[in-house]
Amino acid sequence: MGKNCTLGELLIDQLARTVEDDTLVFHGFGSPLVQIALHVAKRVYTPNLVLVAGATYGVNPDPPFIAPTTNDWVHDRNSECHLSIGELFDLSASGRLGRMFLSGLQIDRWGNTNVTQLGRKTLKLKLPGGGGACNLSCNAKNITLWTAAHRSEPVKGKRRYRIVSQCDYVTGFGHKNADGITRRQLGYLGNGPQCLVTDLGVFDFDQDGHLQLNALYPHTTVDDVLENTEFEPRMKKEVKTVSLPSLEVLSIIRKLDPLRIHEKELLPGDRSLTLEEPNNAAIC
Amino acid sequence: MSSREPMALIRSIIRNRVNGLTVVGSAHGIDIDLLCGANAVSASQESYVGFEQDFGMAQNYRRGCESGEIEIQDNCCYTLVQQLRASIQGLPFMPIQSVRGTDFKKNHPSYKTIQSPYSGEDILVVPPLTPDVAIIHAQYADVHGNLRIEGPPVVDLLFAQASRTVLATVEKIVANEELKRLGGANIPYFYVSYIAEAPMGAHPTACYPFYAYDREHTELYMSAAKEGSTAFQKKYLKDFVYECESHEEYLHRIGGEDTRVRLSSWKESTDAWMELYKEST
Repeated sequence: MGKNCTLGELLIDQLARTVEDDTLVFHGFGSPLVQIALHVAKRVYTPNLVLVAGATYGVNPDPPFIAPTTNDWVHDRNSECHLSIGELFDLSASGRLGRMFLSGLQIDRWGNTNVTQLGRKTLKLKLPGGGGACNLSCNAKNITLWTAAHRSEPVKGKRRYRIVSQCDYVTGFGHKNADGITRRQLGYLGNGPQCLVTDLGVFDFDQDGHLQLNALYPHTTVDDVLENTEFEPRMKKEVKTVSLPSLEVLSIIRKLDPLRIHEKELLPGDRSLTLEEPNNAAIC
Repeated sequence: MSSREPMALIRSIIRNRVNGLTVVGSAHGIDIDLLCGANAVSASQESYVGFEQDFGMAQNYRRGCESGEIEIQDNCCYTLVQQLRASIQGLPFMPIQSVRGTDFKKNHPSYKTIQSPYSGEDILVVPPLTPDVAIIHAQYADVHGNLRIEGPPVVDLLFAQASRTVLATVEKIVANEELKRLGGANIPYFYVSYIAEAPMGAHPTACYPFYAYDREHTELYMSAAKEGSTAFQKKYLKDFVYECESHEEYLHRIGGEDTRVRLSSWKESTDAWMELYKEST
């Protein structure tokens, strides 16, 4: 039927589909893909979601548009009520935050994330820092990881991988750290990450807590994933291709984000990408 | 980040050649980056310093950390909240249900693991945090020093309660009756040590309902910061900090009344609001 969308819109839809209904969900700051995904989820997939906005802590806001910085008052428009910062983190600490979305400049095979620094022994690059990621990664009930920069073009013959074997610094805890300590051993309430949505595909974590490729996009291949990942991810028996967002979802995204702020998260070459519905697409 | 940062206070701190600061906060941007660009910071306990997806990394902060001039002691939001709560409640420490398993313990030797006397399970405890000084920009104060913050206060209330000295600038000082009419104070006067009226005192961050975030000025700031620390001194600090003997002079240099009118146009309509964030290209 000639439906097509951009990569950003596809990622938003995939992120939105990871949310469960009747749960409290929070998006952090600097993550317009997730912010928009939660509005899509609330309006299309999970109407009883309690949406808590990052930085403003407004509950169920209905912003007229998305601004380039998260704590702008525009994102707080029409909020029903507000939480304080302490209250939100208290809810998470006691296991009442249903799902959190985390990302990193490095995401490793066990779902650990690094937003603190590159370089293990000596600092190579200071990253902005994780906000509350460290805390929320431990006890949010469920976690969706995402990155729009899985594709890592070589610079001077060297790749700086986004999806790495082991994070240089663990800002957010995944399923286990480099010492082999698991979240069960630490007694955490949270289940850890269940999925990772990237610009190349959708992953889940197997029984060991290891990253596993679950689905691709109409324009990506297993080879793309292998080439752009520092280690070999495990593969689901059948790797599907996701279906494109519905016209309803696309219309919500386009109306909510006329400034296309979410595209700032994408690699420059991915911003103008248009995807078409493949044959035999499966919902992932 | 882009809202209600005490920028006039920070410019004044820099002009007064204060340095060797340990800065602590949750999610920040241009405020901390400006202090770093002026070499005023020797340690950072922020949980985030950056310009989100719009302008990316905070260049002065990053340079300071990478050169070793700034000691990196990154914290996380809830650890900060719990440390402030310990101080506010007069407790020797506060337990926290996270952090173990991550690398934060490595740069925080003061975080300890103890056993719960009830369940016997391991739990992390963090020490109280009592900052020497908290700096806050609010919309209103009365002459007594009661502060009214409109919109999300984020960590400002906890900082005001925990700090030894609280310095506040406000858009407007009003009578107590007027403050009550506006909705009342959320930081009582006895926490507040000093107040000063500084209209547009959060610029280039927003202070709604008075003015929106000045993306245009932030872009100019970022282009100077990206060129390196010497260029930043020449192209930004000199013009907008060192040579501004007063806050009035700063307001004049950023475009005076025209800029104020442009940034307050957000209330006219959604389109006018959006117009402020359109990219100049």
